[in-house]
Amino acid sequence: MRVFTIGSAPARGMLAALTALALGTWAHPTVAADAPSELNLFAWSEYIPTSVIEGFEKESGIKVNYEEYASNEEMLAKLVSGASKYDLLQPSEYTVEALIKEDRLQPLDKSKLPNLKNVEAWYTTQAHDSGLKYSVPYMSGTVGIVVNKEKVKEPVTGYDDVFKDAHKGRIVVLDDAVEIVTWAMATQGKGPAQVNSENVAATRPVLERWLPLVKVYDSDSPKTALLNGDVDIGIVWSGEGAILVNEAPEKFQYILPKEGAHMFIDSLAIPKDAPHPEAAHAFIDYLLRPEVSRKISEEFPYTNPNVGARKLLSDKERNNEASYPKGSPRLEIFRDMGPTAVEIDELFTDVKAKSAS
Amino acid sequence: MRQADTAFESASGNRRAPRLTAYLLLTPLLVWVMAFVVAPALIILVYSFGERQVLGGVTLGFSLRSWARVGDPIYLAILWRSVEYAGITTLICLVVGYPVAFVVGRASERHRPLLLTLVMIPFWTSFLIRTYAWVTILKSEGLLNSLLLQLSWISEPIEMMYTPFAVIIGLVYTFVPFMILPIYGSVEKLDASLIEAALDLGAGPWRAFWKVILPLTRPGISAGVLLVFVPALGLYAVNDILGGGRVDMIGNVIENQFKGTARNWPFGAALGTALLGAFALAFWLTRRPGRADRAAG
Repeated sequence: MRVFTIGSAPARGMLAALTALALGTWAHPTVAADAPSELNLFAWSEYIPTSVIEGFEKESGIKVNYEEYASNEEMLAKLVSGASKYDLLQPSEYTVEALIKEDRLQPLDKSKLPNLKNVEAWYTTQAHDSGLKYSVPYMSGTVGIVVNKEKVKEPVTGYDDVFKDAHKGRIVVLDDAVEIVTWAMATQGKGPAQVNSENVAATRPVLERWLPLVKVYDSDSPKTALLNGDVDIGIVWSGEGAILVNEAPEKFQYILPKEGAHMFIDSLAIPKDAPHPEAAHAFIDYLLRPEVSRKISEEFPYTNPNVGARKLLSDKERNNEASYPKGSPRLEIFRDMGPTAVEIDELFTDVKAKSAS
Repeated sequence: MRQADTAFESASGNRRAPRLTAYLLLTPLLVWVMAFVVAPALIILVYSFGERQVLGGVTLGFSLRSWARVGDPIYLAILWRSVEYAGITTLICLVVGYPVAFVVGRASERHRPLLLTLVMIPFWTSFLIRTYAWVTILKSEGLLNSLLLQLSWISEPIEMMYTPFAVIIGLVYTFVPFMILPIYGSVEKLDASLIEAALDLGAGPWRAFWKVILPLTRPGISAGVLLVFVPALGLYAVNDILGGGRVDMIGNVIENQFKGTARNWPFGAALGTALLGAFALAFWLTRRPGRADRAAG
């Protein structure tokens, strides 16, 4: 029997194969290329109820492979690497815009989406994808202030009321440079559409005042620090705020900052190279059914863009101001920021590092 | 590498199958190292000279832009802070872990397996779950504060969560077994007659410890220091969970370049390569005294 050495052909073949694996060119194990009864869903972690996915699988016979991500950028990283082929993505509006610009999405076939009529008209006219050619809104929400009324007695209406010396060490904010920089811009009278090098740099003094006051940075579950009593005030996703308000309405209040709040629209979109676009359309239409969409609201109390689903909500759900703000607050969506994102990241990292006590 | 050395020796000792068997035995390890250590490291190095793409990803090329930013005082300061945290963690692990390793290593052979199991039991649960358990202990309305309040040792909760103290506790808790096990390995092999000889020849317990025990267990200490310091330098999950992400570790900054808003892979790659260089330096520094010892012994 011949024993092969390092330099022999079989060993080299094995080496090449393993190197390929390390390089990520290996086919993704969860993706079967041409099974028509499959849907490779790539979506935010904990954002689509299991019951909804199971309901779709049972009815359609399509198997859903749910792969999760924790940020738009993580999703982009995996999408760009090309290691896997996905059928359906769940990008936020500014990521939809970037994906459209880079020609990564396929136009939706509206004839396969009869339930699209349930989407509120306002969502069909937004700049990131006007007319919803490439994306369908899944859930939208805002970023706002949560106050523990037992601890914070004075009225809170805007960002400057949060970042006060009196609240030093009692504040939780999202661990997100773009969010925080745009809040600072809002206090200077500039909206997220005005993100550019100059306006970003101008927020430095505001950040230098704000960041030393912050106790916790958490984008995943900012409600935890509020619930645990480690902080008294915070700026969080409205879904998180809604859960706090539902849990203890006498204790927590959700307030949209008067300077203008960021609104996000998490959407559904089909990548250009999706292996199963049919299944993706079927799933989108399923999610757009009022009774299905209502189930999503139950578990994730964001603002439901689905008018039909909203009619099915209970009064308590509808009256939760974190989910459905009263009046007409100033809400603005993000636009794709291009290379300015690098400057935002550097500015934030710098000020944060210098703010450490 | 010790096993690999043995394989070489036995293979060259057997004249009928020289070297081939040795290579064969080494192949899985070499392939593994090539595919999962060398190749990824080279990819990162190549990426670090590229240019950022809009959606993430890298346009390959030869640009020094990312490397110029690595030298920026912002990032050097963050790297230094990471080194400080890792250094303090290593020191505490050594001070806490050495006596434990010594006791376990000198315990009777009947008790040793049980004691070793006790050291390793934490590994049966996921690292993240164990770290979240510390949140329950340390938070304002948590177990520790409740206990201290009940005992009337304190009148109001001490702030422990989201402080550097919490981060260090989490890091030490995570890494202390990695210090204990290699030192245990050295202590177990320690020849008791050498200690007795030292004591017989008039050395006090302190002197025997410093002049005999410590030098003989040094290989274990070196290995332990390395096993704790290197991963502690890169681990940022503890910092996020127990420290509230208030200060960035170098790991946070690198993660942000790939999964955060910047989408700046080349810069993340340059920072990663720099960190790899720092690890190599740490390894080199801890290896050197070990070698001198072995030569002297």
